[in-house]
Amino acid sequence: MEANKDNANPTILNQSDLPSRRSDSGVKKRDDGGTGLFDSLVPAYTYLNDPFAQQASSSDTDDDSVEEIDEQEIYDLISTISDPEHPLSLGSLAVVSLPDIHIQPPSSPRSPISTVLVEITPTITHCSLATVIGLGVRVRLEQSLPPRFRVDVRIKQGTHSTDEAVNKQLGDKERVAAALENGTLMGVLKKMLSTCE
Amino acid sequence: MSTSAPPPRELTPLATLHPPSTSRTWMTSPHPQLPMVATACSDKTVRIYSLTSFTLLSVVSGGHKRSIRSVAWKPGTRGESVLATGSFDASAGIWRKYERNAGAEGGVVRDEEDYTDGKGEDGEDGDADGDEDYTFSVLLDGHESEIKSLAFSPGGNLLATCSRDKSVWIWEELEDDNFETVAVLQEHEGDVKCVAWHPNEELLASASYDDTVRLWREDLDDWGQCALLSGHGGTVWWVEFEGADMLGAGGMFAGEGLREGQRALLEERERAGPRLVSCSDDLTIRIWRRIPKARGESSRGPNGVPSILRTSSIEEEWVEESQLPKAHGRAIYTAAWSKKTGLIASTGSDGKIVVYQERWKSGTSDTGGPSATSEVNGEAMDTTDGTPLTPEESWKDKPLTEWVVVAEIEGAHGVFEVNHVCWARRCDKGKRSSGEEVIVSTGDDGEVKVWTLNG
Repeated sequence: MEANKDNANPTILNQSDLPSRRSDSGVKKRDDGGTGLFDSLVPAYTYLNDPFAQQASSSDTDDDSVEEIDEQEIYDLISTISDPEHPLSLGSLAVVSLPDIHIQPPSSPRSPISTVLVEITPTITHCSLATVIGLGVRVRLEQSLPPRFRVDVRIKQGTHSTDEAVNKQLGDKERVAAALENGTLMGVLKKMLSTCE
Repeated sequence: MSTSAPPPRELTPLATLHPPSTSRTWMTSPHPQLPMVATACSDKTVRIYSLTSFTLLSVVSGGHKRSIRSVAWKPGTRGESVLATGSFDASAGIWRKYERNAGAEGGVVRDEEDYTDGKGEDGEDGDADGDEDYTFSVLLDGHESEIKSLAFSPGGNLLATCSRDKSVWIWEELEDDNFETVAVLQEHEGDVKCVAWHPNEELLASASYDDTVRLWREDLDDWGQCALLSGHGGTVWWVEFEGADMLGAGGMFAGEGLREGQRALLEERERAGPRLVSCSDDLTIRIWRRIPKARGESSRGPNGVPSILRTSSIEEEWVEESQLPKAHGRAIYTAAWSKKTGLIASTGSDGKIVVYQERWKSGTSDTGGPSATSEVNGEAMDTTDGTPLTPEESWKDKPLTEWVVVAEIEGAHGVFEVNHVCWARRCDKGKRSSGEEVIVSTGDDGEVKVWTLNG
């Protein structure tokens, strides 16, 4: 496994160079990205074991009172995901980066739906694990964000040799749902997400 | 995208079937005769609800190892209900339940009675598989990966299943519980998302991740592809035929005083048969129609020489007839064509339910497409309004009909995605006419909701 890595020598960003709220001239004071940030927003969510156990009661939209979620918070949620083949985070590998996260508000005043688009940049163009990384990002956000968010994960254009095919898979709800019932794949995803807590 | 004028009719929630599932529900199928529906659930069960009391009647469980994605009732059964389930575990199941009074000739239903007395005995946990409940009778094995959809032919003897393995299988029930594979169709280049039968021909439609719809029929002893419908720019999630009797029963197109072109269109439609609707990730809903074969044309071989070996080719020509007004902002998962009224209902990832109606276009305006939505005028579905067509305005050059949005609702399942809608006969006490229909929607929140269309 070690010898067969798609990219044995990835570029690694310094922890202090990663975008964070603190370097953002501190509009709000937060201890650190990610940790417990959404505990008050999301009722203890156990997606990995029981995908929808907590969702039944959340259809009464108490999300309205919740403060806006911004790109930095999305970044904090996904930058700590581990790369499936390096012991490094997606943030430090620059697979995810702040400017490639876009939040779109509801398309009409009557619509309750917001959209999060995350464009990921695989470390090399033929990285066979792009789909798994994308799935990890999608699962992490679907677990953590309130259900009013639709999550779109795409490969950043031109960075991957088969990006259209990967994008189509990542956008296919039915395939994603079936993938999450696949034990082997879920093991890989759990490991990637284990560094997010 | 949406017009300022509100649609003329209103979707009103009638009931949420109780209790809901605690996990995602994928689709709901109304029983062909009895006042109940079956819902395919991601918790590996099927939930059977009453359409008279809106409560849970039974939970069918124990047959599948993964999510049940699709469910279908066998039509025309007598004395029993037969349910087919398609699962992410790559298998399909056939379930049977004895029904004392089910299966009246011609599917006549006495609406006020609810024959399914399972309630109370089974409770909600579904563990109590009593004698009176659904028994697992056959496991159909063969697909290599998740089954996405399945459908019984109108005669009930054929069952089509489709899968992520890119294939469509057709199974024939030779006798009770004895199924034989009669075809494995492998032309699709991606997951096959949906299968649907023609209402009165043995013609099967399938929709795929490869962005196409394909049609299949039997040629001598082999099933083969008879048409390829290209045009969608994304996964085609759903495909469904028009009702067999829409010209006579549709109402909208009946009536005196049709112009010549309009009569010609209806005659052509009668020869072509039911149309097809498909919806896609590309945010469009498209109507397809068959070009009727000219008489004699089909009896010629490949060289134009009349063939004695084959009296007909299975090739059919289908063309895109129109697109419905664009009303969805995200992937459209279902477009359901009412067999009774000809209305189409759609839903998808944006959580909206939209209802469309086809109407005669007024003569002068040829500004088709989405802008026409603003012209909706609830009561003015008159077939004779508008300026007369000039003789050269044939329906072949210019569409004589247009589709307009007549009702829509945002957030039908709160903030959740809606995976499926279908039309069902209204069976509760509040029913306003014998033919009244309701829309049944199935969502990621585990809820199945019943809607009435007012106005």
